[in-house]
Amino acid sequence: MTGRARRVLWLRHATLIAISVVMLAPFYWVAKASMTGENIYDYPPHLWPVRSNLFNFVDVWYLIPFPRYLLNSIIVSLIAVAGNLVLNAIAGYALTLPFMGRRSMIVLLLSCTLIPFQATIIPAYLITAHLGLLNSYLGLALPLLSTIVCIFIFKASFDAVPRSLIDAARIDGLGELRILLRVMLPLSTPAIATNVVLSFIWSWNNFLWPLIITRSQDMQTLPLGLARFLSYMEDTTAALYAFVVMVLAPGLLVFLMAQSAFMRGLTTGATKG
Amino acid sequence: MRWQRVLRSRFVVVPMVIAATVAAWNVYVTLHAHGLLQGRVVDAAGHPIGGATVILFTHDFVTQVEKARTRTDAAGDFRFDNNDSHLIQLQAEDGSERSPRITIRLWFRAQDRVLQQPLHLAPAA
Repeated sequence: MTGRARRVLWLRHATLIAISVVMLAPFYWVAKASMTGENIYDYPPHLWPVRSNLFNFVDVWYLIPFPRYLLNSIIVSLIAVAGNLVLNAIAGYALTLPFMGRRSMIVLLLSCTLIPFQATIIPAYLITAHLGLLNSYLGLALPLLSTIVCIFIFKASFDAVPRSLIDAARIDGLGELRILLRVMLPLSTPAIATNVVLSFIWSWNNFLWPLIITRSQDMQTLPLGLARFLSYMEDTTAALYAFVVMVLAPGLLVFLMAQSAFMRGLTTGATKG
Repeated sequence: MRWQRVLRSRFVVVPMVIAATVAAWNVYVTLHAHGLLQGRVVDAAGHPIGGATVILFTHDFVTQVEKARTRTDAAGDFRFDNNDSHLIQLQAEDGSERSPRITIRLWFRAQDRVLQQPLHLAPAA
């Protein structure tokens, strides 16, 4: 490696490290505040934690029904992830097959992504109410059981599978569902990981929908718990930030576990050809 | 072979490690959550005080409320058996003398705890 190339490499890494520090600083500050309880407006601010302890997390656990919120969030997110994997894979595979109106269907789906969820929330509520799913786990997960972005992630991944492989499977006598299960999905693990991460995080962070359809505190999820906590514990900075860390941690964990496949899933099809 | 690969993947190992940690922690909590609090009351010179009153305050969302009282024995030792809180305060008093109210934070509700530092009685201001 020449001296110039090395300098460019160093410069690139230094820039990336600086950007990473800027992007991670808020997370660090939240984690630090959750352990120290220092006022975020203190000046000069302490860069490192001073007199840190983990008791704020214990307070959060006991001052509100945190375990209940956590359980609700986990159940709803698991339902959303399972629904996304099944429904999006089937829909994505269908969009790779030739059928009349396929192009219109794709245009229709893409145009639907332009409509914000807030605009459809009343019909969504009425449909959920007619199905008798208000204040239920399935009702909480219902709008996220299938998402258009994730359908197209599966479609892009399936499009990248060679046609000859699918034709060979058909000649061997496999039906469409078995082709999806035996051929497409094993070759689309990045798309699966991307679906899992996105649907989990969207479901985990969802605030508006649970706020509207839950009737009892027993069915509330963590974002609602956070709002509730904030409303009557506004003077306890440390406990509030501890709550934020506890809400963030599962999403971060899922992302970190699946991040390499997640990145590949997002870029599948981007370099096709 | 395929199942072994699946079992060794981080998507299985990480949740299993978390589940094992949670299970171990719950076992520990179950074995150490009897609400037992023990300590000692001494005077300014460090001599144990018998017959002093010790008051247990528990956290009631935003304030501390008195939960129980007990008296020290001849050796100055006291004991509470019914603490069900994770955030408590203790204060001792004997006649005109009183100790500062100390805050004790526990890792879980009703955690058994023996105080390392005694409550020091001093003349009330």
